[in-house]
Amino acid sequence: MYEFLKYEVRDAMTADPIAIGPDTRLREVEELFESHDFNGVPVVDDRRHLLGILTKFDLLKAFSLDAHALVPHYDTIMEQPAAAVMTRDPVSVEPRLPLSRLLQKLVEMRTKSLPVVENDRLVGIIAREDVLKALRRATIQHEIPIHEDSPS
Amino acid sequence: MTTLLYTHPACLEHDTGFGHPECPARLTAILNTLRTAPFAALEWRDVPQATVEQLTRIHPQGYVERIFARVPRRGNVALDGDTILSPQSGEAALRAAGAVCAAVDAIVQREASNAFCAIRPPGHHAEPTQAMGFCLFANAAIGAAHARAVHGLERVAVIDFDVHHGNGTQAALEHDPGYLYISTHQAYIYPGTGRRDERGIGNVVNIPLLAGSGSTDLRHVWRHEIEPALRDFQPRLILISAGFDAHHMDPLAELNFSEDDYAWLTQQILAVAAECCEGRVVSVLEGGYSLPALAASVAAHVKALMEAPRAAQRSLIKGILERQKTRRNAAGS
Repeated sequence: MYEFLKYEVRDAMTADPIAIGPDTRLREVEELFESHDFNGVPVVDDRRHLLGILTKFDLLKAFSLDAHALVPHYDTIMEQPAAAVMTRDPVSVEPRLPLSRLLQKLVEMRTKSLPVVENDRLVGIIAREDVLKALRRATIQHEIPIHEDSPS
Repeated sequence: MTTLLYTHPACLEHDTGFGHPECPARLTAILNTLRTAPFAALEWRDVPQATVEQLTRIHPQGYVERIFARVPRRGNVALDGDTILSPQSGEAALRAAGAVCAAVDAIVQREASNAFCAIRPPGHHAEPTQAMGFCLFANAAIGAAHARAVHGLERVAVIDFDVHHGNGTQAALEHDPGYLYISTHQAYIYPGTGRRDERGIGNVVNIPLLAGSGSTDLRHVWRHEIEPALRDFQPRLILISAGFDAHHMDPLAELNFSEDDYAWLTQQILAVAAECCEGRVVSVLEGGYSLPALAASVAAHVKALMEAPRAAQRSLIKGILERQKTRRNAAGS
């Protein structure tokens, strides 16, 4: 576990992640969720400045009951641009943040992933799975039982 | 004294298209329940079409003509994303509004103490010049206006417990002190109106409830808001916009009323009616989109109507005796 304390976000994140523009239709976002195992996708402008994050939760929220129609209309909602439903000004982390701190943040926020931003640009995304993988990697030697190493 | 049931086959032929929640099966579920033994005492009545005169007390004639001009020869026409017309929709809408007027006539003339109108399309979202939210004509408001215009009732109250705010009824009645409109509804959902500060000319009481509200909240607002407002107003007739989509099983909202709550609320309304207006209550179907919950809730509501407080019955009998006496005196003189 001591090894884990040396890790930083950049050691575990997915670098240069898939991102979408603010005009991407929700229909395309849904297809992205369908074909990749994403829970959310960062929304960036053409210089990769982070504008927001659009998660499955935001997509669900677009279908919740509101004042616009008695029954939410699938096609109308799916034609909306990402900018209409994304979470703006999302919490982001820096690549040099200790991974242990990032873990703390994920737990406190009950969120599944956070965008990683450096010099105002999106450089990565870090998810629960990445942290779990790093935990395993950091502790792997100790998980190998000693007796299997010995020939007797 | 029995309860009258107003319905018409045309209301089953208003076809909103495949999968639409405001479907003919709603009415079929209700009528099948009301045909069972516990409801044998209901007096079923056919209904006339509403007249142009009845409709135009609320809707401008141009609006009525526009609606009929949109009714398709076949297939469906969408007035908006929610509000769909089929070839029989015009006829159904006329019977729906006609049912409320006929029920008002019968109740004011003491043919029974109360009535339930099992009709569709519903009406409380229809504004004087705007069809919306499954609604074409403002059935309850049309009935209220009919009671005032034809029977000269000074004060008519409409209580709307559908889970959605009755923007149409409110728009139709809020400028006339002869009406009181009271609505409980879920806050922040369709149609977005019904805030507490919408008070008309002091004759509108909007009670938005937060998602998750149920029996306790209903009893609280009845005691502290609905009942005092009703008693202050002293209505000569009470109309109920009876939507059952505040039920905990309804798919279009998040309030948690039960069948028992609908029975309880109906009994409370009847008790006030017994004191203020000889028990005169006309209830009009609005929403309710879980078929089993709708059928069970209507059953509880109608059962309560059929068991109207004895006070109302006593006053009815008194009325009948008085009329006989008057007639005898007239014959004698």
